[in-house]
Amino acid sequence: MTANRTPDAVVANPKTKYGNAKASTRHFITQRVTGAINIVFIGFLAYLVIRLGGQDRPDMVATIGNGWIGLPLAVLLVIVAIHMRNGMRDTLEDYFHGATYRLLMGLNTVFCILIAVAGVAAILKLVFWG
Amino acid sequence: MTVRSRPISPHLQIYRWTITMAMSIAHRATGIALYAGTVLLVIWLGAAASSQQALNVVNDIYASWFGQLVLFAYTWALFHHMLGGIRHFIWDFTIGMLPGQREMLAWANLIGSIVLTVLVWTVFVWTA
Repeated sequence: MTANRTPDAVVANPKTKYGNAKASTRHFITQRVTGAINIVFIGFLAYLVIRLGGQDRPDMVATIGNGWIGLPLAVLLVIVAIHMRNGMRDTLEDYFHGATYRLLMGLNTVFCILIAVAGVAAILKLVFWG
Repeated sequence: MTVRSRPISPHLQIYRWTITMAMSIAHRATGIALYAGTVLLVIWLGAAASSQQALNVVNDIYASWFGQLVLFAYTWALFHHMLGGIRHFIWDFTIGMLPGQREMLAWANLIGSIVLTVLVWTVFVWTA
C-alpha cells in the first residue's frame, strides 16, 4: 500500500486529476446503457428458466433453437458480458493500482470473453444445428 | 497534467453503518455473485447444445437441494442488482437524493428484492 501512495506534492497540486476522464465517462455511460438492456435480458432469462428448467434437450432446441428467441438471447448475453467486465473494472479500480490492476483487469477481460463466446456458441449451435 | 492514482477505498470499520451504505455494498456483492453465476447459465446452455446426457447431469445438479439453494440466492441477487441499478438511474436524474428519500429508496431496494424473489419462487417453483 505504501508503495502505491500518491506523493503529497501530487495530491496538493490542483492541476492533477484522478484516472482518465474520457474513458471513465465512457465506462459510466456504457454501464448504464448495458444495465438498462439487461432488464430485458432478465425477462428472457426468467421466461427460459421457467419454461425450460429441468426439461430435456428437444424442449430446449424447440425454444432456444427458435431464431426469434435464440438470436436476441445471444446478443443480450454479449451485452451482459460487457456489463460484467465494466462492473468488475469499477471494483478493481477501488482496490488495486498499477501492475496488479492491469493483471486482474486482463483476467477479467479473458473471463468475460470466455463467457460470451461459450454462451453464444451454445446458442448458435441450438439455433442452426439443433 | 499529471494523472494520479485513484484513491483506494478506506476501511469499512471506521464508518457507522447506514442502510444506503449497506445497499451499496450489497449492490457490489450481488454484482460479483452474478458475475460468477453467469457460468451456471453458460454451463446449462452448453449442456443443452451438446447432449442429453450432459443436460441430465446439469439438470440433476441444479435440481439438488444445494443447486436449488444457489439458484434461489441467484434469483435474489438478480432482483437486488436490477432494483439497485434502477435506483442509480433515479439518482442520475438527481431525484430522491435528499435525507429520508435516499434511505427510503435503499429500503425499497432491499424489500422489493425479497418480495420479488419469494413471489417468483412461490408462483413458478413451490406451487407450480
